[in-house]
Amino acid sequence: MRKLFKGSSGVVKISKGFGQKGYSLPPKPWLVVAWKEVLEAFRDRRTMLNVVLLPMILMPLVISLPTLMLSPKTIPPKIMVVVEDPRGMDLAKEIEALENSSEALVSIVTDGGNYTGLVLSGDVDLIVDIPEGFYENLSSGKTGRLIYYYDPYGARSSVAMGVVQRVVSEYSEEVLRRRLEAINLSEEYIKPIVSVAVQVTSTGEGATTGEVVTAMVLPMMVGLIAITGAGTFAIDMIAGERERKTLEALFTNPVSRGQLLLGKFGALTLLSLISGLATLFSALIGVGFAITSMSESLAAGSVPQLMEPSRLLYLTLGILITVALGGLTGNAVMITAASFAKTFKEAQQYVGFLTLILVVPMVAIPYAPQSFHPVLRVLPISSLAMFARDMIVNPGDLGAIATSLIASILYLIVFLWLSAKMFGRESVIFC
Amino acid sequence: MVAVEAISLTKAFGDLLAVRKLSFRVEEGTIFGLLGPNGAGKTTTLRMIYGVLKPTYGTAKVMGVDVRENPIEAKRKMGVLPEDTGVYPRLTAEENLVYFGKLRGMDEERLRKRIKELLDILNLTEKRFVVADKLSRGQKQKLAFARAILDEPPVLLLDEPTLGVDVMSAREIRKMIEEYAISGKTVILSTHNMWEVERLCDRIAIISEGTLRYEGSKEDLRRIAGKREFEDIFVRLVRGEVIEKAV
Ligand SMILES: Nc1ncnc2c1ncn2[C@@H]1O[C@H](COP(=O)(O)OP(=O)(O)OP(=O)(O)O)[C@@H](O)[C@H]1O
Ligand SMILES: [Mg+2]
Repeated sequence: MRKLFKGSSGVVKISKGFGQKGYSLPPKPWLVVAWKEVLEAFRDRRTMLNVVLLPMILMPLVISLPTLMLSPKTIPPKIMVVVEDPRGMDLAKEIEALENSSEALVSIVTDGGNYTGLVLSGDVDLIVDIPEGFYENLSSGKTGRLIYYYDPYGARSSVAMGVVQRVVSEYSEEVLRRRLEAINLSEEYIKPIVSVAVQVTSTGEGATTGEVVTAMVLPMMVGLIAITGAGTFAIDMIAGERERKTLEALFTNPVSRGQLLLGKFGALTLLSLISGLATLFSALIGVGFAITSMSESLAAGSVPQLMEPSRLLYLTLGILITVALGGLTGNAVMITAASFAKTFKEAQQYVGFLTLILVVPMVAIPYAPQSFHPVLRVLPISSLAMFARDMIVNPGDLGAIATSLIASILYLIVFLWLSAKMFGRESVIFC
Repeated sequence: MVAVEAISLTKAFGDLLAVRKLSFRVEEGTIFGLLGPNGAGKTTTLRMIYGVLKPTYGTAKVMGVDVRENPIEAKRKMGVLPEDTGVYPRLTAEENLVYFGKLRGMDEERLRKRIKELLDILNLTEKRFVVADKLSRGQKQKLAFARAILDEPPVLLLDEPTLGVDVMSAREIRKMIEEYAISGKTVILSTHNMWEVERLCDRIAIISEGTLRYEGSKEDLRRIAGKREFEDIFVRLVRGEVIEKAV
């Protein structure tokens, strides 16, 4: 049996495990360093839990939970219809039909009792009162009034209002049609203007739900991927190694700083790729959930379509380039930050602060006005998010794509150079 | 032949002059003791020689290689036991050795043989698969010592090699240091243990406040001491009292 983690005795029960593989490593120093870093990272159960397992569980929840919770199908809201006007039973039956599509649980009563108490206690999410004289008004060409009792702070109440209102407006239109017929007027007569919305996208195709969600979520994802894993591991590899006083011994070997840094950088890239893919994968699952439940509750017609294969390939390529560049840039930034700090704690503070600085542009970009885009394409970090956005939303604008790509690569080189400078400093070895 | 040469080694940490124009030579095949009280500058001196601290002034040569001009080549000639052992707590005893052996470019066969041999001699074989975190202070020290002599470098630099080690293990380490020198290699060690220096070293340098107070053979020092205790003469040298006979 292989056991990756040390037991409480400290014995690593692997006779042919990672350690033994070290013997046969090719004598390339950076590879040896990378091997040791990955080996140590896998030994550290807590880090792996935080960086790989936790996001895999949390991401789908965070992304899909709100939509799932607000979808009436997940937990149907409870609606009580109070029929005070016996001839209003028609409408009550229409509302009751919501049960068939399991969008609500409906009960019909003739005497409501304590409305306030029922709503506040949560026994009922919405009370629809059909008052006396309702039908009389309707049939005599007047306005029939319905009274809703709901909890303005309850999400479930709003959901219930939404579904009931749909039924009521259908019913109302039906009444209108009958009234118009009676006086021989066409429906068009009372609708002098109708607006028709045409989607304008640079691809010429209508945007699918999937694309819209991806365009909004992807830049944010890139930020997360570049940063979450990398920060934790970078701290451990630089500040952690110094804190454990092993950096000095490491530097006594006949290996250049460049090779040591390259090894750490290689391991960091592999590890953040693992954590990044785990995050991306679980986020996509979350987005999938969200789309499914959204499209069910929305009006028909916005069902997500599958993308064309060529477009899918293009998108995948864009995502891969962004993730790779983002990962490398994030790693370089993190190594620089971790090298700059004198202690583990300080490194954590720098990294935490940087994470915030890196994430903010990612989150903000989907909402940035068009006129900011040229500037965002050449600013550090936001250039990456813009690249991802352009690949999805403006695939035809090669100039824009090239600008953000070149800017991102230049920043990567700058950050790499900075991390090498920082790692070489004497105070990186001794606090 | 001179194995290690310190040439006006000087280190300033801000306003603090930790090491002041230190010069000495160590002959090949000898054991050289750096002796001094806490904060004297022993560790700082060694760190400059093994190339992890940049001298503010001066340099050192190891087997003829200048540590400032050609640090990688110089490091190839030195095995080091730092003050803090620098053992990786999450790696097993064996992995710690494999890591450094590989970084020093040892091939698989030689590395396997050498690790087995050293773990055996130092009574660490049963700790082979134990992560270093779970080793005792002395076991870590022995592991770090094994790591320093792994690829049998011509020069060994040991910063307090027997610190925190029990009597039996200290004796083993001292024996290995002696054998290392007998095989024609050079050892520089730092300590504040007067007795250890007397037992082990051929030549001695006494430093305090970063300044060289005495440098010479063990026999010369004994002559100066005369009937007095070694410790007594050590204390006087550290205080910087001039001892005519030493010159
Ligand atoms: N990285 C550093 N930054 C600032 N001052 C330092 C640094 N390293 C050492 N010093 C100072 O330099 C002086 C010499 O320290 P060093 O560690 O060389 O002494 P030492 O002889 O090895 O002492 P010990 O016997 O306690 O190990 C001390 O005053 C110490 O405080
Ligand atoms: Mg010291």
